[in-house]
Amino acid sequence: MAMTTRQRARLSKIVQIIIFVGVIVAVLLKVDWKILGSTFFAFDKLGPIFPELITVGLKNTLYYTAISFAFGLVLGLLLALMKMASFAPYRWFATGFIEFFRGIPAILVLITFGYGIPTAFPGTNWPQPVVVMVSLGLVSAAYIAETLRAGLQAVPKGQSEAARSLGMPAWRAMVTIVIPQAFKIVLPPMTNEVILLTKDSSLAFILGASMAQYEMTKFGRDGITSLGAGITPLIVAGALYLVITVPLSLIARKFESRSARTKR
Amino acid sequence: MTHISNIPANFKASGVSITGLRKSYGSNEVLKGIDLEVKPGEVVCLIGPSGSGKSTLLRCVNLLEKPNEGKIHVGGFETTDPDVDLDKMRQNVGMVFQQFNLFPHLTVTQNCTVAQTKVLKRPAAQAKEVAQKNLDRVGLGAFGDRYPDELSGGQQQRVAIARALSMDPTLMLFDEPTSALDPETVGEVLAIMRSLAKAGMTMLVVTHEMSFAKEVADRVIFMDGGVVVEEGIAQDVIGNPQQPRTKDFLKRVLDPTHVEIDT
Ligand SMILES: Nc1ncnc2c1ncn2[C@@H]1O[C@H](COP(=O)(O)OP(=O)(O)OP(=O)(O)O)[C@@H](O)[C@H]1O
Ligand SMILES: [Mg+2]
Repeated sequence: MAMTTRQRARLSKIVQIIIFVGVIVAVLLKVDWKILGSTFFAFDKLGPIFPELITVGLKNTLYYTAISFAFGLVLGLLLALMKMASFAPYRWFATGFIEFFRGIPAILVLITFGYGIPTAFPGTNWPQPVVVMVSLGLVSAAYIAETLRAGLQAVPKGQSEAARSLGMPAWRAMVTIVIPQAFKIVLPPMTNEVILLTKDSSLAFILGASMAQYEMTKFGRDGITSLGAGITPLIVAGALYLVITVPLSLIARKFESRSARTKR
Repeated sequence: MTHISNIPANFKASGVSITGLRKSYGSNEVLKGIDLEVKPGEVVCLIGPSGSGKSTLLRCVNLLEKPNEGKIHVGGFETTDPDVDLDKMRQNVGMVFQQFNLFPHLTVTQNCTVAQTKVLKRPAAQAKEVAQKNLDRVGLGAFGDRYPDELSGGQQQRVAIARALSMDPTLMLFDEPTSALDPETVGEVLAIMRSLAKAGMTMLVVTHEMSFAKEVADRVIFMDGGVVVEEGIAQDVIGNPQQPRTKDFLKRVLDPTHVEIDT
């Protein structure tokens, strides 16, 4: 039977409502609220992990993210410049590095630096923050390098030509004319990278460490075994990640719409 | 019509001397042995069909493109000498592009001061003064705080001219400065170039504006296929061309509605 556009739209809406209501009713009927509550929402038993979850865990999550990003940014900029270099071996190295570290899971790098290196080179006993900074920094540098290269190359060639024809040396044209324009282009993807790093800093939980070096996920996991509150500690840790990442997204979106409006 | 204020005292002038210039992109030879002379204070217009190598030639003068062969002298610099300080040479050679290439993240005034302070190391106050003088000259003295995207095409190109003049160049290169403009703003840019020429600026201008070339240029050079086909006094080359290729080109440019297409 042929239907008009209006009939079809109405039918589609009805089907969607039926599915939506059906799922909610099924959940309400199926769920044992008592068990659910004691597994996910046993907030009353969380006392022992406060305030350390915040004062140590949240602090370390931010700290690991910041140092990894700083390391990744410096290395990423270096790799981006190498990838645009006229000397071919630099380009090969940068390409190899980027493909390698983008292609393997971050946790493998973390294990390598956390356990492999100290075993292979006895005496190299890096403190945990350094292991995290180097491991996650290497991985994020690979992504950051590509972002920066794309940003620098998105600035029209006429810009550096105009700068050079005013007598600016290449580095000066880069610093004063090209990079400020590239900065606006790369800001949204860079914010994304910080968000990914914030979450990846949770991988540090696999490294054995003293309590002072725990980040939020480690706190949450230990809380599961010690508190008898189900996975409630992880739920709380997850909420704290959102407290960091959602504002970052909002800031990025704000910058994005601002630079889209003025285009300068 | 734009009012152009206070035509200044004469400029310091550099000539250009090019001999045997060749430039290839891969196997495509774009300039096939160019000899060209611009005397200090002279205005030379470069005309020719699309793809004949005019932009490439102009860009070789300040070495935005690297020549394969030949010698180029600009002022006291032999620009093709690998040991010459290119940045120093470029400080004396202003360039105006078809697409303006203003710095979009800087205000109009900052566009005119950035190279003065960063390259010539002028104090900020002096740089601002020079910028203001040159913005006044192009009739945009009141627009210093605007950003380039808040200006019309003609105004942007005038800022680009003021930006180049702020470096006190002894030679100005123009690459089709009015080709990207709406017809009604072409006149204001040509008026400024005319006043610069009158004030004694040495200028090498690639243009399709034949009446401008005829009126302002001391000499006109017609290029085709990477060689200079004909050159001479503007009135002669444009008014009474000798070479068939020049005649053909001028017919097409001056009367584009009556071009016959041979099949
Ligand atoms: N960067 C480049 N790489 C390869 N080929 C180029 C490059 N720049 C110019 N060419 C080629 O060189 C030839 C001359 O180009 P050029 O821009 O100098 O011509 P033009 O006379 O300025 O033309 P128009 O009037 O269209 O601006 C063209 O065939 C062009 O395709
Ligand atoms: Mg051209």
